[in-house]
Amino acid sequence: MAVVLEQSPAVRPRPQSRWLQAWRRYSRNYFAVAGLIWVILFLLTGIIGPWIAPYGYADTDFLNVYQGPSWQHIMGTDNLGHDMFSQILWSTRFAIEIAFGATLVSFVIGVILGLWAGLAGGITDMLIMRLVDFMYAFPSYFLNLILVVKFGRGLLPILFAIGITGWAGYARLIRSLVLSLRNSDMVEAARALGASPVHIARKYVFPNVMTNMVVALAFGIPYDLTAQAALSVVGLGPAPPMPSFGNLVANANANILGYPWLLYFPAGIFALTLLSFQFVADGLQEALNPKGGN
Amino acid sequence: MAIVRFLIKRIVAIILTMSGVIAVAYVMMYYAPGSFFSSSQIASALGQLAVQDPHAYQVTLKMFEERYGLDKPLWEQVLKYIWYSLTFNFGNSYENPNVSIISQLKVALPISLELAFGSVVVALIIGLPLGIIAALKRNSWLDYTLSTLSMTGQAIPAFVLAVLFILLFGVVWPGTLPINGWGTFGNVVLPVLSLAAPNIGTFARFVRGSLIEVLRQDYIRTAQAKGVPYWRMIFRHAIRNSLTALITVVGPTFAFTVVGTVWVEDIFGIPGLGKMLASAFGNLDYPLAITSVYLLCMLVMVTNLIVDLCYAWLDPRVKLE
Repeated sequence: MAVVLEQSPAVRPRPQSRWLQAWRRYSRNYFAVAGLIWVILFLLTGIIGPWIAPYGYADTDFLNVYQGPSWQHIMGTDNLGHDMFSQILWSTRFAIEIAFGATLVSFVIGVILGLWAGLAGGITDMLIMRLVDFMYAFPSYFLNLILVVKFGRGLLPILFAIGITGWAGYARLIRSLVLSLRNSDMVEAARALGASPVHIARKYVFPNVMTNMVVALAFGIPYDLTAQAALSVVGLGPAPPMPSFGNLVANANANILGYPWLLYFPAGIFALTLLSFQFVADGLQEALNPKGGN
Repeated sequence: MAIVRFLIKRIVAIILTMSGVIAVAYVMMYYAPGSFFSSSQIASALGQLAVQDPHAYQVTLKMFEERYGLDKPLWEQVLKYIWYSLTFNFGNSYENPNVSIISQLKVALPISLELAFGSVVVALIIGLPLGIIAALKRNSWLDYTLSTLSMTGQAIPAFVLAVLFILLFGVVWPGTLPINGWGTFGNVVLPVLSLAAPNIGTFARFVRGSLIEVLRQDYIRTAQAKGVPYWRMIFRHAIRNSLTALITVVGPTFAFTVVGTVWVEDIFGIPGLGKMLASAFGNLDYPLAITSVYLLCMLVMVTNLIVDLCYAWLDPRVKLE
């Protein structure tokens, strides 16, 4: 009668994967979906933007400065006759490089130090966590300023300046995950049943760590974008003529009383982008960690 | 006694941390390319001198270096700055050689403090009721609207908001509120609002979360069961407990706001510490830059210390260690 025990696959519903469930929950949050669409558009623009830009970012047209939007310059021109549309396309590329590059740098440092602290324990753990506490207490913006003054205003110096000051949160998260998972009942039970370390890592550790990491990274990206633009406010953004959203907003601010339209497109697009990343991060948090957070 | 030991430990830690920060910052600036004498107005005047009278140029440079101790070995200069930070005597800046930094700070620091404290207080006054309403009406359209607005406030940085305010009150409705300068009440409104907006979102969301958490607790059900009137239960039992945790958020929020003053002061032309810092970094005026970074960081760290003390005072379960 062994045949009876084997149910036909048609009767038993296939268990949904947790990612599919997460996507179900995510897609119910309209703001998160709208944010995701904008983020995808932003990413695509950043990738292909420089090729479709009608002008180079450094091209100046001194006969057409401070133009409003027209067919020739669909978003107008600034005080040096830079085409605003092209500048925004290049800024998007720059923002993406910073957002993903700096976040990756922070993430890698955070994962290494967090794993090290969590696995080693003892005095190593204490020293690393002291460093984390320090990075938390110290406003990283000032470290960014000093680092950019020292290493210059190019893409890589700015990327690393933001990256190496922003890892404390990741380190703390990874360490706490390591500590809680190592002593968790499910890992204990799997080990008692004779599961191999690879199996434990794949089935229990990885999914748990993954969801937390995805959420942390999603919140990290808008933070790094803001940090980059904040450098421009005090004149330490990427060196001209390289445009960035921070530089464009700062430049618009300098000319705002006479030429307010310089502000509309850069500030609007930048604000929408930050908002979208925030909505995506929040949606991910709710979809992946339905219990945690608020 | 525990509190005295805790205080001594924390203050020593702050002093050591700040000394380390000053040392690192000074060394990095020392080796950074460019200097004040090549990047500011002085440079053009000196440049002329260099062409007209190379000898006098060298003498002038030497005079400057001697005056600021730049001819001494690096470790001596670093030690000097650490000593400055401990004695609160910061010497003179490059930009204004005749005015001591400390007398500039006496004007600038209160302005920044007023902005930072003012915006945190405003954010609390607006954010708390919003969070409470959202929690009591949770999962209603009101809650969703408030939560979305809070998130919007958190996502838009203060400097973008500040520029948008300038657009609104400088171009769309000119003359309603001043957009530049300092001294009247009107000058305070826009900078405080742009700094407060992200904090309103932070506070509202935090209060909503913690109040929902508290409302699930057993003692709330007990209060309901024994017939405590609804509003009395909300205010006396629920909100009081959810507010204790809020203290832990106020600290980081304040730190965030102190950093924000740098941008907002620069944009609204307010002669505070942040504006000082921005122009000091722009001119590579290192004494001024290091002093302003030092003070802003001190502000953050001392606030964190006060927050820890308040938390231990409000919640007897917390031990100071």
